[in-house]
Amino acid sequence: MRSLSRSRLLWGAILLCAAVAALLPWWLSAYILGILTVAYYFGVFAMAWDLLFGFAGEVNFGPTFLIGLGAYGAAILDANFGQPIFVCVIAGALVALVGGLLLALPALRLRGPYFGLVTLVAVLLLQNFIVIFAHITGGEIGMTVPDVLSADANANYWYALAFLFVCTIILFGLSRSAVGLILQASGQDAIAAQALGFNVTKHKVAAFCVSAVFSGMAGAMLVFYEGAASVDTVINLSIAVQVIIAAVLGGRRTIIGAVLGSIFLILANEFLRPLGQLNTFVVAAVALAVILFFPDGFLGYALRGRQRE
Amino acid sequence: MLGLQIIVDGFAISSLYALGAVGFTLIFGVSGVLNLAHGGIMVVAALVGWYCAGELGFGTYLGTLAGVAAGLALALATYGIVVRPIQRSRAIPSAETEIFVLTGTLLWGIMIEQGMAYLFSDNPVTIRPLIGGVMNVFGVRTPRNEVMIAALCWIVIGLLWLLVNRTRAGKVLLAASINPRGLTLLGFELSRVYVLVWSIYGVLAGIAGVLLASFLGVGSANTGPLTASAFSIVVLGGLGSVSGTLIAAYVVGYLETLTAYLIAPTLRPIPALILLVLAIYIRPQGILGRR
Amino acid sequence: MRTALQLPQLARPTIAAMAFAALAMLAPSARAADSGPIKIGIIGEQSAIAGASLTKAAQLAGDEINAAGGLDGRKVEIITYDDHSSAAEAVRAFQRAVHQDHVVAVIGSYISEVALALEPWSARLHMPFITPGAASTDISKHVHDEYEKYKYTFHGWLTSAFIAQSICDFEHDVMVGKFHMKTTVIMSEDAAWTTPLDARYLECLPKAGLQVLDHIRFNPDTTDFTPIFNQIEAKHPDVITTGISHVGVQPTVQWHDQQVPIAMVGQSSQATTSSFWKDTNGATEGVVTATGAAPGVAITPKTLPFTEAYVKRFGVSPAYCGYSSYDDVYVIVDAIKRAGSTDPDKLVAAMEQTNYVGTIGTVKFYGRNDLYTHAIEYGPGLITGVVIQWQDGKQRQIWPENAADATVKFPAFVKLRQASAK
Repeated sequence: MRSLSRSRLLWGAILLCAAVAALLPWWLSAYILGILTVAYYFGVFAMAWDLLFGFAGEVNFGPTFLIGLGAYGAAILDANFGQPIFVCVIAGALVALVGGLLLALPALRLRGPYFGLVTLVAVLLLQNFIVIFAHITGGEIGMTVPDVLSADANANYWYALAFLFVCTIILFGLSRSAVGLILQASGQDAIAAQALGFNVTKHKVAAFCVSAVFSGMAGAMLVFYEGAASVDTVINLSIAVQVIIAAVLGGRRTIIGAVLGSIFLILANEFLRPLGQLNTFVVAAVALAVILFFPDGFLGYALRGRQRE
Repeated sequence: MLGLQIIVDGFAISSLYALGAVGFTLIFGVSGVLNLAHGGIMVVAALVGWYCAGELGFGTYLGTLAGVAAGLALALATYGIVVRPIQRSRAIPSAETEIFVLTGTLLWGIMIEQGMAYLFSDNPVTIRPLIGGVMNVFGVRTPRNEVMIAALCWIVIGLLWLLVNRTRAGKVLLAASINPRGLTLLGFELSRVYVLVWSIYGVLAGIAGVLLASFLGVGSANTGPLTASAFSIVVLGGLGSVSGTLIAAYVVGYLETLTAYLIAPTLRPIPALILLVLAIYIRPQGILGRR
Repeated sequence: MRTALQLPQLARPTIAAMAFAALAMLAPSARAADSGPIKIGIIGEQSAIAGASLTKAAQLAGDEINAAGGLDGRKVEIITYDDHSSAAEAVRAFQRAVHQDHVVAVIGSYISEVALALEPWSARLHMPFITPGAASTDISKHVHDEYEKYKYTFHGWLTSAFIAQSICDFEHDVMVGKFHMKTTVIMSEDAAWTTPLDARYLECLPKAGLQVLDHIRFNPDTTDFTPIFNQIEAKHPDVITTGISHVGVQPTVQWHDQQVPIAMVGQSSQATTSSFWKDTNGATEGVVTATGAAPGVAITPKTLPFTEAYVKRFGVSPAYCGYSSYDDVYVIVDAIKRAGSTDPDKLVAAMEQTNYVGTIGTVKFYGRNDLYTHAIEYGPGLITGVVIQWQDGKQRQIWPENAADATVKFPAFVKLRQASAK
């Protein structure tokens, strides 16, 4: 009974937040809306990561491999073949899916640090490819796409919010479903789960695919918001780390926590902007402090606190 | 002629790779940590060395020593501030410690990179060559500095071998890498062993950083690629195996050089990365690693 | 069981909502003013050797204008942004400049890829935008091809085509004319600005008297130039014609350390600032590069006062984009004055009529019917750039020859007339 009312309350809370967020453009300046727009896309990155880590127990050190594939896949399609935006986004998601599968299938066989290393290497490979094929991808500095979702800050904000809302519903719903429970079991204790008869590998691959599709889509959407794709904003290791930190900050294995973590992180980045070059330093330092002293994150800390009662 | 050029050129760069990667694999072998701030330690050593040599006017020799000292200090700081607290933290479940250490060192590496970029900007700096001029090596015109760097790398690696195999402290290190529990049963304090290995690592990375600055130039933007190249080599050679790392360093170094000379300079990093991917899929423990 | 347990659940999202609302109170809602300070946004690459001059020189211009009373009493406010050499960050900075800081114009970047990323945003947001350092011919081609859409963009530096032409002219006069050289190899980084540069090189170098033996484009990420220099040396050219901007310290230092016996001539953006001598530990001795102006040589009456004021304030001489960035602030302010308003369309129309004597020549923009619409006009009396050589720690002007203040000399390891050694 309690878990039912708990989940109803959680869903209610999500709806309430969405409603409040949708009304924000009437209060906030176009600039802050722009920041929130990026934060919302980041939220999807982080949720996709949390699904894989929190639920399948696999640490993906290269979420930006999937994000980057989606972003550049969509960007190249748009710049060279002029397809409409939503076709490019779907294409980006597909490219990320294929890339994710190519990575996941062999990598999930490995244990220990090797999986994490493989994901890191994937990011490096992608980065190198982007730089080497600079005439198609714009290299290190980036490429522009001719189409954007909108030039209006409000419209962009609502697109991002709607996208975040839909992704949250799907991913959170997945985490609460039977499949999610199996994933959680495989993540926490793979041997026991297998003993119970579940095909752990199949479920992990599925989790990887879901993570890939959402990361790729969000990456593509981000490109069509900014009108540009570059290594620094969708592939770089510091972006990967920010995604992981956002999820950890919000609370591992909560999905919703990842959104909170992202919003907090992006806003923090912004408020620290006057520091100039030092702002990444400070954010990384804060993130390190969180890892050292506060590893359960906001939501995780609160939820665990309540469990002890 | 071209062949000799490739051999000479490849040798120097491979030796530098070897020096950088050996420290990395030592840390993993003995303390089980993959230090993703590795590039940061090399870069700090290079930048501090350049700063002391040029701006503070210490001259090249003293500046170089200052750089190595900075590498040592930073490595110990990495252990004390990042790695040890996470390993000892009770808030983190023990199954996730490795992941948190990796993330922690990654963050620390980012802090180092940004801090350096702030202090020194991200432009590459070069340390004046310890010996100027060129000399003739098998008919190839080579800067004397390059020859000296290759020689220095091997002297240091040789000293390391002596340390590990001939001294008592070295044998303790070897033991720790094989069976830490057994070592504690014999009465050795593991924490002292860890401090020792991180110190050795700091000196190795520091020397590598300073030599790289003298040979090719180093900037804060190199932090990521240096870490990446070190762990590519280490994974290829086998995590924890020093001889495997040495072999892999030369494989990677020569692959890159051959690509740059025979195919195109643009495609230089690709074959090594492809080899790494193949290795991970076909033989994840690397050339000489233990599973 | 008790509602107290369920409260924390609801509390969090409610707090979050309240936090958003609080943010709203803090968020400024100012609109662009027709009185009050004239805000100009400067997007630069503050950690790059060449890019750092951009923002500093603009700051200098702004302060000078204000010291002289501003524009009809209105102060000029220079707002700077660092894009960390990334197109997407530059776009974010541009959006911030327009939506948050309400600038009237943006001066941005010396990197062509970044300028090309900002150009569509300048079109979408109707924000006048001028780049003081990028070189790609595509910037002005877009304006020519779709004028009504892209007219807000101006190209405040020589296009790659003209840079290449001026270097060809230099090589014809000096490398062929004085040193009787016959062959060259082109060495350039793989970037947007070098594509038209190299195309023009391939066309005009033979006409200047130099046969092109090879054309090498390298990855801007390259750190080890040994294979590239060896490849060039194997062809035995008399001179290397360069096009580098993203790299500078490493190829120059390695050229010197390896004692590559071939002269390096062309465009090396990092070599245009005085700190380059220190950055390379003197290895840049003998390197020749095109730039806006040389220290100590007055192209216009404004050149030397600017250079002196810049050196006095910042300790190093300006890179090539510093000169144009400084001029561009004045050009914008001048256009606002003539237009009598900061309205984007009126400002653009006024900028098209620019005829301003700056620090490196007279600034005029090509018109709608010219091929490079809104690029600065190239030619004697307008802007041509100069060619300098590093000698004994200083940049000395060696071309145009009538304004040269030093003779060309190369380090001892450079062997002139390679071809004669064959």
